[in-house]
Amino acid sequence: MNSPNQTDSLHPLEIQVLRTLGMATTEEFLRDPELVQSTGLAPSQVSMAVGWLLTKQLVNLVSETTTTYVALTEVGTKFQQAVSPPEWIIQTVQAGAQKGQSRTVKDLQAIGQFQPTELSRAIGLLKKEGVLSLGAGGSLENTGEKSTTVEALRSLLNQIHEGSRPLDSFSDNHQALLRQYAVKRGNTQEPFRIDDHTERAYSLTPEGRNLLPNLREDAAQEISQLTPELLKDGSWRKNSFRKYSIHLRPPRLAVGRRHAYREFLDTVKTKLTSMGFQEMRGELVETEFWDMDALFMPQFHPARAIHDVYFVKHPSHAKHIPEPFLSQVAEVHKNGGTTGSKGWQYSYDPERAKRLVLRSQGTAVSARTLATNPPIPSKFFSIARCFRYDQVDATHATDFFQVEGIVLGSDINFRTLLGLLKLFATEMAQAKDIRFFPAYFPFTEPSVELHVRHPKLGWMELGGAGLFRSEVTVPLGVTVPVIAWGLGLDRMAMVALGIQDIRDLFTSDLEAVRNMRRQM
Amino acid sequence: MPTISIFRKDFSQLVGQPASISDIEQWMPLVKGEVKDTSSDTGEVRVELQDTNRPDLWCVEGIARQIRSVLTGGLSPYSFFSSRGRAKRRIQVGQGMETVRPYVAACASLEYPMTQEGLEQCIQTQEKLADAFGRKRETVSIGLYRLSSIAFPVTYGLVKPDEVRFTPLGFEEKMTPHEVLTVHPKGLEYGGILSGCERLPLLWDSNGQVLSFPPIINSRELGEVQIGDTDLLVEVTGTDLAMVILALNIFASNLADRGAMIEPIDIMYPYETALGKTVKTPHDMGNAQRVSLHAIEQALGMSLGAEAIHTALASYGYQVKATRQSVSVKLPPFRNDLMHVMDVAEDVAITRGYDSFSPIMPQTFTVGALSEQEQISDRLRDLMVGFGFQEIFSNILASRQELVERMRLTDTHHESLVEVDNVMSQTYACLRPSILPCLLRVEALSPRVFYPHLLFEIGEVARVDLEAGVGSRTVLSLAAISAHPGANFSEMHSYLDLLMYYMVWPYDLEPVSHPSFLDGRVGHISCQGQMVGYIGEFHPEVLEAWQIDMPTSGFEFEITTPKT
Repeated sequence: MNSPNQTDSLHPLEIQVLRTLGMATTEEFLRDPELVQSTGLAPSQVSMAVGWLLTKQLVNLVSETTTTYVALTEVGTKFQQAVSPPEWIIQTVQAGAQKGQSRTVKDLQAIGQFQPTELSRAIGLLKKEGVLSLGAGGSLENTGEKSTTVEALRSLLNQIHEGSRPLDSFSDNHQALLRQYAVKRGNTQEPFRIDDHTERAYSLTPEGRNLLPNLREDAAQEISQLTPELLKDGSWRKNSFRKYSIHLRPPRLAVGRRHAYREFLDTVKTKLTSMGFQEMRGELVETEFWDMDALFMPQFHPARAIHDVYFVKHPSHAKHIPEPFLSQVAEVHKNGGTTGSKGWQYSYDPERAKRLVLRSQGTAVSARTLATNPPIPSKFFSIARCFRYDQVDATHATDFFQVEGIVLGSDINFRTLLGLLKLFATEMAQAKDIRFFPAYFPFTEPSVELHVRHPKLGWMELGGAGLFRSEVTVPLGVTVPVIAWGLGLDRMAMVALGIQDIRDLFTSDLEAVRNMRRQM
Repeated sequence: MPTISIFRKDFSQLVGQPASISDIEQWMPLVKGEVKDTSSDTGEVRVELQDTNRPDLWCVEGIARQIRSVLTGGLSPYSFFSSRGRAKRRIQVGQGMETVRPYVAACASLEYPMTQEGLEQCIQTQEKLADAFGRKRETVSIGLYRLSSIAFPVTYGLVKPDEVRFTPLGFEEKMTPHEVLTVHPKGLEYGGILSGCERLPLLWDSNGQVLSFPPIINSRELGEVQIGDTDLLVEVTGTDLAMVILALNIFASNLADRGAMIEPIDIMYPYETALGKTVKTPHDMGNAQRVSLHAIEQALGMSLGAEAIHTALASYGYQVKATRQSVSVKLPPFRNDLMHVMDVAEDVAITRGYDSFSPIMPQTFTVGALSEQEQISDRLRDLMVGFGFQEIFSNILASRQELVERMRLTDTHHESLVEVDNVMSQTYACLRPSILPCLLRVEALSPRVFYPHLLFEIGEVARVDLEAGVGSRTVLSLAAISAHPGANFSEMHSYLDLLMYYMVWPYDLEPVSHPSFLDGRVGHISCQGQMVGYIGEFHPEVLEAWQIDMPTSGFEFEITTPKT
């Protein structure tokens, strides 16, 4: 549409390009070098204006041809003006022979005119072509043969010196030679450079042509950017303001922003503190004692094997485990201690308890908190980085977050446990429909799995929980019942962030990090 | 968590009523199971079992038995557990077994013609029990034999590694136990269990025929059970008497459920065991235990009363006697997972159904709070974001190459690196001692991404510290980098200065030398006399090592909780 509005918002550069294209009569299209020439603009200005006009569909791209050009590099210019390494070698050896002096490779290197690598390549070439031969004592001798390569290179240097030329204007042999002596990745000291150059031809679209009569003459006088000077001297009054095309995509910005996954976890911690939970923190490296023994996982438990937990190389063991916890936990493993349990009935190894591992479960943080004589009642949570010995793939990460915690109180029982999970379902997943399933964890009894109907995801497992076994709480000095809970939020996070691969939560691709956003 | 295959027709027969997929799904909570996959063609249902303390549930017979028990209000006891007098068959244990693999349990299974499904399930149960419960055959392994070819009494004794020859399953030729260990795939897989033994365990009958070489392989002549065989010998060997007997009890109950008549076998030991020198197996090891009704009711948060608890436990398979205050409970002989009254309470809840307990919403008031570290880290994050930095979130495990070599650090810096002993992949071999390498990794992978790159991350790092309780310290650290054509020291200095100003952390910069940074453009950051970090322009060799073509500068400092 050639509304007056459209011509108003044309940039002066666009107007110039449109005019130039409008004047073109030769089959109605122009190539970019011609455009540059007729507009008198810089190539970058032309390409900017053409870009805008293409998006506005005022200009058509008629054709696009890519030509390979060959040009001289700085090195090539030097060779052309002075001498190339093989030429120099022939001359030097000849000059030496005339004076009755033989030259060795070392002698040539000592002169220092060319790099040793350049020399050895040239000598190799000349020997191969029979121009040079190696005499007694390593002296180089001229055989009198002519080097076809050297002659061809000289002719090419001279031809291309006059300006870059299309590669295909040379014979096949010469093309091969040019490629051989052209700059490559890893070798920039070559005489020739081969580049692809794309030439585009443009014409006006009918819409563009229709605009021509309406193009403003005074566009160049329009104010494009209001400046302090224009304001200070009031000269803005004398001119009109160019109108912008506000439909164009705005330029990109690089801005400061929180990481989207961390932002998700921020809302989790805000929810938990608002429900009265206090944050606990722990160490990335833990003893097996706090990571597993204190949680009543027997030392022979299959999940403690070398293929499930990362062990620390050095130091491999902690110096000691604090008492009375070590003895009390040891007793409870052996025979139940004072808990009324019969225990696991095996001989507990206090050395094994000191083995250092990368924390394999967030519950280790809870175990440590239980041993600090926490106030009753109280609620705790942690968002703890944990490590598992797993092959990393789309659903398994090597380190990941566990959101877990405990609730201590004399009123705690199975039904208050279910109540807490119901609260989590509404607060964390906005879910009204929930189901409880019997579950198994080594440290809780009874144990529950919480399934919720998420408004977007349908039925999903939201977490696991239970009442800590007395075998866990009593040895750590806690006598009231304790709820232990853990939430599996990564799946929710992945849907919220629109990603399918768990590795993308911690991606190192900045574009992906910048694009990641919460979609629900 | 074992996953097993059951077949709907077989399962229905064992439960005693037709079972649809939705029936099976509905019953799964009773066995802490989950249906993973179903196939309507074959009737196969893949079930994952959660409870690692209930190996009796890792088989179709056990799952069906538990469900049948709840559906019918209880189980009638298996008579073979209470058989008295001398058994018809004997296994004699040889001298010296107590130091190698001390225990054996066995029974005869008669008059059940083996079916295709029965045999598949037997093999699956055998594998699951030996693998997950028997710790890859170390503590428990199981063998099945054709009873009719065996001449009793059988001997479970030691032989020299090359003393006897038999044909192992899967091979045509006869081998000695020593040859089995060096040639047979099972010998190679499980031979480690017997490493260091001068003499090896073997089962042979009174005609000198070899039954098996436990826990490695059965003989082909006696130990290859076939469809149609009606009489079997089931044998379990191992290092833990209770576990060996439990495994046999499970197997015997399974065969009985399929219609077999189980006949116990007397095991004669030359040494004392917890059950004496002669042990008749299968053997009921359970004892009646008194548990408090009040404890169960308190744990469940509901006054159920003696009768309801009695009913629930009986239908779950317990033998129960209840009085007003306490209940005497005994587990069936195929279970051995009762450690504490809470285990009983959970079984009550499972039988009644978790959904039958109405949730009580939390009512106790507690104060919520973030840790001091988290509060400081949130303030720093807000400031850095306001300064225009994109937050990065990285894995904490990284490679030694990234953390040390590419940072141009030398061996003296290695001491502080917390390294994994059982490395799975070199990419994840060390805990990061610093966050800057993680940010440089982002820069290295993102050269085509719109510039400038202002990146930061606040997170945990770990360093070896022999004085710390766990041999290392986990520290909160803040790192930031700037990568663009004009990136330099003074730009990062401005950000650092402003950050410290807003945090009210007076700091000092001292010129130092650090391999990762350009000399003369690097400083120690110290806060109240404490060295907390570095700021500088990265050394071009560091950038080259990361293949970064963009000038990059950065800083990193530890966030120590400020001292008042």
